[in-house]
Amino acid sequence: MLRLVLCTQPRSSLVAFGGSARMRPVEGDALTRAGDPMNSQTRTTLVLTGLILAFLALTTLFISNLPGRPLRQPPIPLVNTNFLDTATVRRSYADLVRAGEDLSDFDCYACHEKGKPPPLRYDTNQNLIVPKEHSDIVMGHGSHGRNNNCFNCHNETNLELLQTRDGHEVKFADSPSLCGSCHGPTYRDWEAGAHGRISGFWDRSLGAAERKACVNCHNPHSPHFPSRPPAPGPHPLRPVATASVEPGPNH
Amino acid sequence: MPLPAPSPNPNPAPPDAGMSRRSFLRTSAVLTTGLAALAASLKPLLEMNDFPTMERFLQKYYKEMTPEDMEKVLKRIEAEVEKQYGIRPHVRDLKPMDGVEFVYCLNLTRCIGCRKCVHACVAENNQSRNPEIQYIRVLRLPHGSLDIEKAEHNYAPESVPEKGYFYMPVQCQQCKNPPCVKVCPIHATWQETDGITVIDYDWCIGCRYCEAACPYWARRFNFTKPSIPKERLNPDMAYLGNRPRRQGVMEKCHFCIQRTRVGRYPACLEVCPTGARKFGNILDPNSEVSYILKNKRVFIQLKEELGTSPRFFYYFDV
Repeated sequence: MLRLVLCTQPRSSLVAFGGSARMRPVEGDALTRAGDPMNSQTRTTLVLTGLILAFLALTTLFISNLPGRPLRQPPIPLVNTNFLDTATVRRSYADLVRAGEDLSDFDCYACHEKGKPPPLRYDTNQNLIVPKEHSDIVMGHGSHGRNNNCFNCHNETNLELLQTRDGHEVKFADSPSLCGSCHGPTYRDWEAGAHGRISGFWDRSLGAAERKACVNCHNPHSPHFPSRPPAPGPHPLRPVATASVEPGPNH
Repeated sequence: MPLPAPSPNPNPAPPDAGMSRRSFLRTSAVLTTGLAALAASLKPLLEMNDFPTMERFLQKYYKEMTPEDMEKVLKRIEAEVEKQYGIRPHVRDLKPMDGVEFVYCLNLTRCIGCRKCVHACVAENNQSRNPEIQYIRVLRLPHGSLDIEKAEHNYAPESVPEKGYFYMPVQCQQCKNPPCVKVCPIHATWQETDGITVIDYDWCIGCRYCEAACPYWARRFNFTKPSIPKERLNPDMAYLGNRPRRQGVMEKCHFCIQRTRVGRYPACLEVCPTGARKFGNILDPNSEVSYILKNKRVFIQLKEELGTSPRFFYYFDV
């Protein structure tokens, strides 16, 4: 059918490609009127050649699929395996004992004298002066520097023990019960598994679960959870403008 | 009613009309274009290097497979993975446990936005590293609002948490009424009895309806063949879980089926440094999640107004 139309309407090839039979005579007449038959034939040839070239160009574009090719991406580096580490932020006394590691930090009487409570010294603002032997300790437990007495938690007569405010002696390995003597609701949550880390098996009939102690995450002298660098975010396909949302009121 | 007689061709061809040069040119132009278009449309087949074997092509639907069928399929998958990565994996088909319904709770007070969960998940579940596929997206929101429109997931400060913001990791919410399952035209994704919505990667046709239906942006599509470095492949695999996917299939968080269905905690929970993530069996009254839902201020199921009823709960400490 297409060939028929093409053959019978030599001067209206443009329209024939469009397939509109109605407009053929009009267009044909216009072309014929525009000049002598030879001239119009040359024009038709020109238009046809142009069309063929255009089609070929489009075809090349289609096949090479230039616009559809994904953008060349810089390789995404593999994430640092530090971020895959499941270890806790700190290691508790119990962890050190279990790993059979150096416990010299807990050997108080290597330096201190037995039976003699170490003296506490304060500056004029009633801030505890941390002796240089304990320079790694930052006194940051509680706000406004109010918790400034070592023997709020340490047993002054036996430095290898802890004690609650009401005088109960607590071993280093049982430190959560000392923490719980002040932080009751948190301790309750921790016991129920709602606060703190548990790892291992959720189904205790299939395997053991390990509940991490308070000191696995919190430094008892400065318990605020430490900030840390975040793992890399998603690598977008195109550079993104980071939205600037104002931080909210700090609650 | 009689059909109208076909109207005679108004311009019959002259009987001696052969093929003139012009008509030859025209016809060949049309033919060339047509053929080229056909070739262009078939070209993707040339780039296909992952032709399914007859075995895979004829593989039955997951729910129709007998245990023997499944055994064969698992063997085939193990062989395929070994051929591709040089590591013999251990692929299992883990069924849901009786009397178990999984629930996830996330403590928004504790989350510091460190994104460790994101990468532990990628490592555990053999997601593509380039392009990146990640099941968890950590949103950073300004304090005092829960407007997801203000969320930002490309944050990159020196250290987290940042003052004035809180962080909300979002992953598959394992809805009780999952919109993604409803739209799947071929039932390649469904909800199991323990509440996990799973995908049969061998049944998925990649139409991405589920991705469009999910209100939590939780589903990911493999636009390309996933690239996983050999040394980072996790060989402990499950059929419905973390076995390597093919190009053109959907994937999403499945609560680490290969871990949780043998009683272990999911990878994102194990790696969380703050213990903000809690997981367990809601049908067990002594589980952590039961305690949290009973006693803590569980404030949302994300977009709960949609009626999807997520099994993922966000809660606060205070």
